[in-house]
Amino acid sequence: MRDDNKTTVIVGIFVLVGIIILIAGIMTLGSQQKTFGKNFRVTTVFDDIAGLQTGNNVWFSGVKIGTVRKINFYGESQVEIEMNLDANTKDYIRKNSKATISSDGLIGNKIIVIYGGTSDAGSIAEGDRLEAVMPLDTDKMMETLQENNNNLVSITEDLKVLTHKIAGGEGIVGALLTDSLLAQNFRGLMGDLNQTASRSNRLTSELVQFSQKLNQKGTTIDSFLSDTTLYASLQGTAKGLEATLEEANTVTNNLKVATEKLASPDNPAGMILNDEEFAAYMKSAMGNLDQSAESFNETLDALKYHWFFRRSFRKSERAKEESENE
Amino acid sequence: MSKESPKLSYFLGKRLNKFFSGLASAYRFVLKFFREVWFPPYEFKEFIRQCYQIGYNSLPLISLTGFIVGIVFTNQSRPSLTEFGAASWLPALISIAVVRAMGPLVTALIAAGKVGSSIGAEIGSMKVTEQIDAMEVSATNPFKFLVVSRVLASTLMIPVLVMYTDFVALMGSFLSVNKNELVSLSTFFVQVFDALTFLDITASLLKSLVFGFTIGIVGCYKGYNSTKGTEGVGKAANAAVVMAMFLIFIEELLSLQITNYFRQM
Repeated sequence: MRDDNKTTVIVGIFVLVGIIILIAGIMTLGSQQKTFGKNFRVTTVFDDIAGLQTGNNVWFSGVKIGTVRKINFYGESQVEIEMNLDANTKDYIRKNSKATISSDGLIGNKIIVIYGGTSDAGSIAEGDRLEAVMPLDTDKMMETLQENNNNLVSITEDLKVLTHKIAGGEGIVGALLTDSLLAQNFRGLMGDLNQTASRSNRLTSELVQFSQKLNQKGTTIDSFLSDTTLYASLQGTAKGLEATLEEANTVTNNLKVATEKLASPDNPAGMILNDEEFAAYMKSAMGNLDQSAESFNETLDALKYHWFFRRSFRKSERAKEESENE
Repeated sequence: MSKESPKLSYFLGKRLNKFFSGLASAYRFVLKFFREVWFPPYEFKEFIRQCYQIGYNSLPLISLTGFIVGIVFTNQSRPSLTEFGAASWLPALISIAVVRAMGPLVTALIAAGKVGSSIGAEIGSMKVTEQIDAMEVSATNPFKFLVVSRVLASTLMIPVLVMYTDFVALMGSFLSVNKNELVSLSTFFVQVFDALTFLDITASLLKSLVFGFTIGIVGCYKGYNSTKGTEGVGKAANAAVVMAMFLIFIEELLSLQITNYFRQM
């Protein structure tokens, strides 16, 4: 009887542990596949689902958030995907988020990746349809790769021709590599260039020094560049110059008016300069004046010998001689 | 030629006759089991004793086998996956292989060898020593006591053993993966369950029930129908193992087809 009880207990424990393993497995599987949590359903429509299957995972920002629930044909040849997503992710996925088909690793299962979306679009809701973005087509990638291969072959052939020509001494590069004289010249040129570069360096360093000196406090240039009072003074000078220029303009204008007046014979100065008749008259007047002056001189000479003025003239000659002697 | 044809046809006819009569006998035996299983008296103590024998006593052997299967399968799969740069997929591969096929199959085959032969030999020896007839005379239903209890115990214990085998095989695989790929236990089990679906676990459990039933019913049938004295006991035990294993593979193939049908729905 005791043996029977012992057997029963052992069998009970044995079965219990087996059931615990089963339940633990089911619970783990359920929690990992979000079966027991609260879900919500969204859809998306692809032209080609590239082998996606029911039960494949849905990722958002690299986190698994759900699974593909159902795959239906839609429209003429499109495919509608129904997805069960974890309700906790509802606040993070936006109505304008996009869905694309990707792969879990290089040879992994197909997955749906939800990405993008802006905060102003609002959170996704039950039954919403996400915009589908077609994944990269492997065939198209291979086509592009093949095109690249062809280009590579073409480039290699060109390079082959080029290197052949260079090796044969054709062209500048070929001659440079094969002609020793040209190489020497080139070396000399490089030497000159090197010298030029070193001089340029020296010049640059001197310029740097010069600019540093310019920036030194207390120098004229620094004062000129940094002294605000000097700037104000210069500004005042410039304004003064401006005023002077304005005055000069006025003077020029006045001169212009005067010149114009001189050019016309309707005023006395203009008449002196322009009227020929008046000029002849003036000339005869001047001749008369000259004659009068000569007569006057003769009169004065005669006066020197007059007894009334003789003494005065002698006095003035004597004073003149004394001043010359001194 | 004209003399050989009647002999050949006679030989073939006899073999076919024997095959179909055996099939009919097995069918009647299975039918009798389903008729007897629902009605009292229920041989509960015998059922528990058989559960102990079939389940608990098989646990060490099956655990060890499962552990070795886990390690060996992981180490054998690694080079191929490494060649593709997909060694990180080992846990997923092992979980699918173990839960979908290896666990139930290995458990059933080991149980067929250990339990099937034991049932066949035990009932066969009781048959040839006329203990079954004696039970009938003493107003005990030998079919209910011997067959129903054993078949039920086998049917229920094999799925439990499969749970153990799956767990131990995955732990064996983890040891290998942890040593070589430095994967932690939590990461390993996350990857294991990531690759599985409820259909895998359900199919594995249902398959195990069928395997258990097959082992029990074949062992009982062969033992119950054994003849020719002690020689017949050995034959019954041997036939029970061979037939059970053969049927297990057939059932595995059928279950695969059925599971795939549901998987594609």
